[in-house]
Amino acid sequence: MHGLRTRARGVATWQVTLGVALLVLGFLIAAQLRSEGPRVRYTSQERTPLVETALDLQAQQEALKAQLLSIRAEIQGYEQQGQGGAAITGKLNEQLQAVRLASGLVALQGPGLVIQLSDSTAAVPPGGNARDYLVGGADVLAVVRALWLSGAEAIAVNGERLVVSTAIIDIGGSVLVNSAYLAPPYQVAAIGPAGMFDKLVRVPGFVDFVKSRAQTFGIGVSYATPATVDLPAYAGSVTLRYGKAAPTPEPSVVAP
Amino acid sequence: MKRGWSGRLTVGAVLLLLGFLAVAQLRSQATDQALAQLTVQDLTELVANLTARNNQLRDDARTLETQRTALQAAVQRGDSSAASIRNDLQRLLGWSGVLGVSGAGVRVAISGSLPSAGINTLVNELWNAGAEAISIDGVRLVPGLVVEGDADALVLGGSPLVAPLELLAVGQPETLAGSLTRAGGPIAQLAASYPQVTLAVSGEDLVRIKPTDRSLAPVLGKPRI
Repeated sequence: MHGLRTRARGVATWQVTLGVALLVLGFLIAAQLRSEGPRVRYTSQERTPLVETALDLQAQQEALKAQLLSIRAEIQGYEQQGQGGAAITGKLNEQLQAVRLASGLVALQGPGLVIQLSDSTAAVPPGGNARDYLVGGADVLAVVRALWLSGAEAIAVNGERLVVSTAIIDIGGSVLVNSAYLAPPYQVAAIGPAGMFDKLVRVPGFVDFVKSRAQTFGIGVSYATPATVDLPAYAGSVTLRYGKAAPTPEPSVVAP
Repeated sequence: MKRGWSGRLTVGAVLLLLGFLAVAQLRSQATDQALAQLTVQDLTELVANLTARNNQLRDDARTLETQRTALQAAVQRGDSSAASIRNDLQRLLGWSGVLGVSGAGVRVAISGSLPSAGINTLVNELWNAGAEAISIDGVRLVPGLVVEGDADALVLGGSPLVAPLELLAVGQPETLAGSLTRAGGPIAQLAASYPQVTLAVSGEDLVRIKPTDRSLAPVLGKPRI
């Protein structure tokens, strides 16, 4: 006993601190990796090139979107510089700017809220389906639809702005918005009126979602109401390939 | 004393290193891990989806580059940019829903009681298949408009929807119809879940979709500088 005490006194405080710090960090890292567990699978030889191709395509998509935004900005600049018929071009530019704003091609900021959806941390029971415990496209869609019904005027998911042609789909339990691959957790940011959250929690679709997904499978749902919600501009295609817009002499109906 | 300081420094260095490594590792792995859990079939579908989208973005970039070059030349000549602005305006007004759109597409006739979730599934599938404009019983779909309610009490934008319903979409008819009717696709799933509902999809040479009557301009959101 005496020998043990003597040995304990011989251990410096920093050594104890270091030991505890390493133990805590080891525990934290293990916990973090374990929480990511349901999404981790061993990569087969067959799968590796496909994963690499998907990552490469995703990187290409980001670059293409940045390129589109850049060219659009340049075009806008030239359109505003046009000399002939300054009054006409000025009016047309105002209308163009209004429709860009209304259709999601301009980054917005305003009051609103952010809903975060995260994978369940509950253990999958024997015989259970692991995918039930992960956030899927249907979950994101349910929240987005409920937010629209609560008065949201603009929404983005993990920085991907929702526009008229946006689809939110699910491939193998992973989520694509505007065909951009998004990794969890999913942050659904919405600009909307004060009291939007109070309306949201009364929307039947949201109530059903909370009961069937959060309460049943432990899908994480949290929310924040930052002072300002920032939404990026939509960077995808706005081209009509098969359709043709009806001509009109009065396009300014977009104004509020 | 010296030993105490070196101990603290060691603890600090270890904490810093481990913290950095943990964050870097977890961040870099977030996307890879999510992808790694997909099956080969899912990954193939994802790659096809990303490839199609990237090709569309490349087409758009080429079109915009041509427009930029023409505009640049016009500005240097001192010409008006009005024609370019009008083209942009027309395209965006049609795409966003402010103007009506017509073209090839599909018609989906829905008979029987289908709940809002089923209709929203069809709409989401059509957007994913490349639809350029969609209407339900003559109402143009725009952001913020969602079908809600039970099968016998459907509401769209505050107005009731009464069966039978007609869903119109402008886009490549074969692609749109194929996406809806593929094996295990939305039509098959809905038919299995709601056997009393009849869903008929037909390709059309000309579909006319009206403009929206809603204001799309944000009221609370302001352009971010």
